[in-house]
Amino acid sequence: MKSFLSGLAAFLLCGVGLTACTTPSAGPPAVRIRWAQDPQTLEPLTATSSQAVEVINLRHCSLLAGDYEHGRFAPWLAESLPVISRRNSFTLLTYTLRREATWDNGQPVLARDVAFTLKVMNCPRLPTEYSRTQYGVILDIELDAANPRRFTLVCKGSSQNVIIASGDYLILSEHSLDPEAALRAVPLPLLRADTAAALRRYPSLLNLANRYRSIPPEKQPGCGPYQLTAWAKNQYLRLQRKPNWWGSKLNKPPRWLQAQAEVLDYRIIPDNATALLALRRGDIDLYPEPPAQDFNRLRHSADSTKLLFSVANSYDVTMVGFNTQRPALKDPLTRRALSMLFDIPGLISATQPGLAYRSVGLINPHDKPAYNDSLPLLVFAPQRALALLSQAGWQQHPDKTWWRNKIQLVLNIIYKAGAADHEAIATQLRTTARQLGVLIKLRPQESTLLRRQMQSGNMDMYVHTLNGTPYAYNFFSIMHSRGIGMINYPRFQNAESDHLIEAITAEPNPLRQASLLRRFQVLLQQESPVAVLYFARHRLIASRRLGTVQAISARPGYDATQLQLASARQ
Amino acid sequence: MVRQVLRRLFQLLLTAWGIITLLFLLTRTLPDDQQLLSRFTDTTTGTTASGEQVRQAQQARLQRLGLAEPVFYASRATVPIDDEQLLISRWHWNGTHNQYHHWLRDVVHGNLGRSYRTGEPVAGLLGSALLITLPLSGLAALFIVVFSLLLGLLLASRPHTGWVAMGLYTLDSMPLFVVALLLLLLLANPDFLTLFPTYGLGLDNEAATSLPLILTAPAYAVLPVASLVLTGLAEPTLQLAAALRHELQFFYILTARAKGLSSGRVLRRHAFRNALLPILTLYTELLPNLLAGSVVVELIFALPGLGRLLADAAAARDYPVLVGGVAMVVLTRQFSLLLADWLYQLADPRIRTTG
Amino acid sequence: MRPPPQQTTSFGWQQWLAVTWLGLLLLAAVGAGLLPEQYLAPDLLHTSAPPLTPNHGLGTDPLGQDVGMVLLFGARVALCVSLPAALLAAALGTLLGLLAGYWGNQRLQLPACYWLSGFLAAACYVLVTVPSHGLVVWWWPLALGAVAILVGRFLSCITGLRKPIAFPADWLLLTLITLLAALPRLLLVLTVAAASEPTFWGLVVLLTLTTWPQSARLVRAEVQRVRQLPYLEAATAAGLPPWRIVRHHLLPNVWGPIATTIPLSMAALIALETTLSFLGVGLPPEIPSWGRLLAFSRVAPDAWWLLALPGLCLLATTLSLRQLLPVNKQRSTI
Repeated sequence: MKSFLSGLAAFLLCGVGLTACTTPSAGPPAVRIRWAQDPQTLEPLTATSSQAVEVINLRHCSLLAGDYEHGRFAPWLAESLPVISRRNSFTLLTYTLRREATWDNGQPVLARDVAFTLKVMNCPRLPTEYSRTQYGVILDIELDAANPRRFTLVCKGSSQNVIIASGDYLILSEHSLDPEAALRAVPLPLLRADTAAALRRYPSLLNLANRYRSIPPEKQPGCGPYQLTAWAKNQYLRLQRKPNWWGSKLNKPPRWLQAQAEVLDYRIIPDNATALLALRRGDIDLYPEPPAQDFNRLRHSADSTKLLFSVANSYDVTMVGFNTQRPALKDPLTRRALSMLFDIPGLISATQPGLAYRSVGLINPHDKPAYNDSLPLLVFAPQRALALLSQAGWQQHPDKTWWRNKIQLVLNIIYKAGAADHEAIATQLRTTARQLGVLIKLRPQESTLLRRQMQSGNMDMYVHTLNGTPYAYNFFSIMHSRGIGMINYPRFQNAESDHLIEAITAEPNPLRQASLLRRFQVLLQQESPVAVLYFARHRLIASRRLGTVQAISARPGYDATQLQLASARQ
Repeated sequence: MVRQVLRRLFQLLLTAWGIITLLFLLTRTLPDDQQLLSRFTDTTTGTTASGEQVRQAQQARLQRLGLAEPVFYASRATVPIDDEQLLISRWHWNGTHNQYHHWLRDVVHGNLGRSYRTGEPVAGLLGSALLITLPLSGLAALFIVVFSLLLGLLLASRPHTGWVAMGLYTLDSMPLFVVALLLLLLLANPDFLTLFPTYGLGLDNEAATSLPLILTAPAYAVLPVASLVLTGLAEPTLQLAAALRHELQFFYILTARAKGLSSGRVLRRHAFRNALLPILTLYTELLPNLLAGSVVVELIFALPGLGRLLADAAAARDYPVLVGGVAMVVLTRQFSLLLADWLYQLADPRIRTTG
Repeated sequence: MRPPPQQTTSFGWQQWLAVTWLGLLLLAAVGAGLLPEQYLAPDLLHTSAPPLTPNHGLGTDPLGQDVGMVLLFGARVALCVSLPAALLAAALGTLLGLLAGYWGNQRLQLPACYWLSGFLAAACYVLVTVPSHGLVVWWWPLALGAVAILVGRFLSCITGLRKPIAFPADWLLLTLITLLAALPRLLLVLTVAAASEPTFWGLVVLLTLTTWPQSARLVRAEVQRVRQLPYLEAATAAGLPPWRIVRHHLLPNVWGPIATTIPLSMAALIALETTLSFLGVGLPPEIPSWGRLLAFSRVAPDAWWLLALPGLCLLATTLSLRQLLPVNKQRSTI
């Protein structure tokens, strides 16, 4: 027994002693960023996590990049935005690739790499379900015989979204993934139309698929600024800037073609409390999206001298939706009455003080031309809600319950289990409604079950945070009747609204689109399929090693290409 | 003897196979239609896929993963309400083209399949997770056994040890995450003591790569192991103390005392052996319990262990990883049962568990 | 076999304290039922407020609910869910552990003819059913069972089928335990969530079903040990009926581990109940519980009152149970 104890003592001492040794005295040249979870896979065809998307965008380039400052798409690998022309009912988009763009090995990026990429995205025996559908508008690619960097995409449809889709996928390298150029002979329309026939006519497709799958995605060459030097699953991931990154040869490279940091080091720390400690001890340099409470507490603590804080308005909107197909919620009056039961200022100050802002609808108030500021914000008015309920035909019985046509006003509300801010919303609604005699049951759900229930309409109300982007307005999936059964969770169906959504998507002129969007907001407030509560602000805490750091409006809330150590900054 | 062992081993594998089959069928009942759909619906730029297109894509994914096939040899037939027949079969026969058959065939060939999420072989994923979890839970189990023996003897032999018991009850009433967070906030906090590193294994430090892992790992292992030990200690210790006190009431103890043995010796030599028997079962199941049950510790200290792997797999409906991991836990449990029976017989040769 | 008890189990001050605490809990549980639910309304102006805040003597949680009120209402859950689940799990575990430990794999024997007829009936039930005419086919399993018994009787005329075959009770128990223990928690939750809406009794049953193996294994081990002792062999040789042996000679011996394990399992049960509730298969979130408060301390680690106050209540309950369940009960003597 004694020896065990002394062994334990030695173990502990050894632990303490070695901590001192392992703590790095001088900081490494890497920018260390906290991630809550591992990217799982970097395979461009199947990667879904936001972490994977971030790494992929640092290792690879697409034709177009999102310019979050101006809320539009801008040329990335392409020299300029595509030249648009028409042929019959098709849209032709002609791109020219940048002259400087090269792969890791110095080979130039050419139009045939784009053709190869499009064919891989439709290749049989590869996990192409997503890309095949998402980029299905691209029907064919025509290479320019005279200029190896110029090509034309044949697309169906003509909206802004088609142009975005045409340049939104990352470009793969043909010479390293398909050295025999087996795909070059296969026409894209055949691959798109009939994979079985394509396999029959070109059996070499099988070899290609096997070869593609045998190369780990992290080994695929890219034309982006960084390459992956280390990746331990669920621990860390390290990106190193390429020594001769072609973007640095550009005269005045745009932001998305810059790469400031020498080394980007992602640390995977799932727990928020642990991440906060790690930041305060100097183990990490950047902590994106800390919980609101931690952010505010740290900002007003003594540590604030050692840390940097930044916030930016995001496009993430938190709302409560009503299932408009339920008998009790069919009429807009009832929905509007229930919308008046949210104490939105109280909820903001309770769950995210200073880190959320209000809006009349789904449009971000900072988008001045499109935001309809003539509409009133939702008010917390239980008494007016009572009046509206009576107006909607509900009658209050002596026991304070509400009835209409033998239906009692009893509703359930579902939200993601463990999401504290959603629970706060549901609890506040329940308490307020109960005082009026409206019974509301809380139903937290595991996230997959939650999405399933919302999709199938198996609920009365739900709390949801919708992650928007600064680039385009597209209400097709969330409010159009075509989205019912997908993510039109309110199951909202309204001819006028469908018409408006189609018009907004098709309208190329920004001014006319803005006026349509204003009309759409008025309609949504009248119909009230959702009660928009607030937009959140992106926030981040960084160590002073980074000099300056700015949160951005787009996800993930920071721009990894712009991070840099203060010591490396000239 | 050899025959006996072989028979036991065969029995064990057969039981494990039955359990794993049941769990296989249970995991496949989890709905997984949201994995691809969420990717479509999270995309807000570009074109919007229609419901029909999404359904087709989902079908194509199921085909690719082999999930479009029936799950088992037989599936439930719908029983008609009204029928001329006297007896109706409850089952619909599917033949050998089913998910279970294919999975079993692969397992027999030593292939556990590939993860749906990452495409990596399941065996490799489990192996790398075990490389972290096994030393961690092994150490924790070892310390729990040692400390509970020491403390149990202490509690039983000394009269005024109420505070120790009190401390153990306090530890027991704290959930694991609380203990782990408290340790972290007390011993790895710049405001209090920064004795230990906060997270991970130190593999991500450039400075640490100069030292071999065996030297750096202990510092990182102390807090996770300590939180597992502290929460696991109460039950075996208190059980052992109660059993020892119980044994001390017997005449044979009086006899031993009368022989002139010191009370400490009586406790260790005579009472201990008898009291230990029921506690052995607690000890042998420590390791399997810790193997998959330390998710919380792995999350708080950012360790890439088995518990996290399985929890993530269940959340993402990554069936091959989930079933592979569960199968490993089942096998470990079966072996721990075998170990328990063997230890009983070692401690008390009169017991014949197989008999 | 045992010297006379050295100390009479007197009702000391510790026991009185324990009774007082449990009485207070009962009072709180009953009282909470009478209080209007309005006391639980979230106060959005004071979220995560420390104790001694005006109007919130014990502070508030991150949702703005008063901690004192949550503790009061939570007593109901502790008393009506966790405690019954702990007792039921111990009872179920004891029963199964006793059966498995006593009978082992060999001692429970049935003639081969009954095995055969039982197996045939089970196969018949699993494979085929009868068309139902709107009613639940309740008579189908009953009829099969009756037929099985009759066929068994009939077959027992054949001498060759009278050979007894052992029922592997021990193996069955261990397999069941392994199955339950290997089931990932999330999988269990999702399976249950798909099957039923969360209810109060459903939760007690679910908690009982997931926690009984611990006591079953302890009891089985103890019974295996005691079964070999000379006095039990003597009892068996004397021809005492099995239930008598179990009741008078085995039960008193297994009481020790069970009495130790019940108080200890309270904390684990409260934690499990919270996990299940969080994942949507436990109690609806409008019913406050101590475990929920404890879980909030994960979100706000610096709010010590969310940890200390429910922790103290839990500890007091555990210690009270410990005091009221004497571990060293009268042991069997022959």
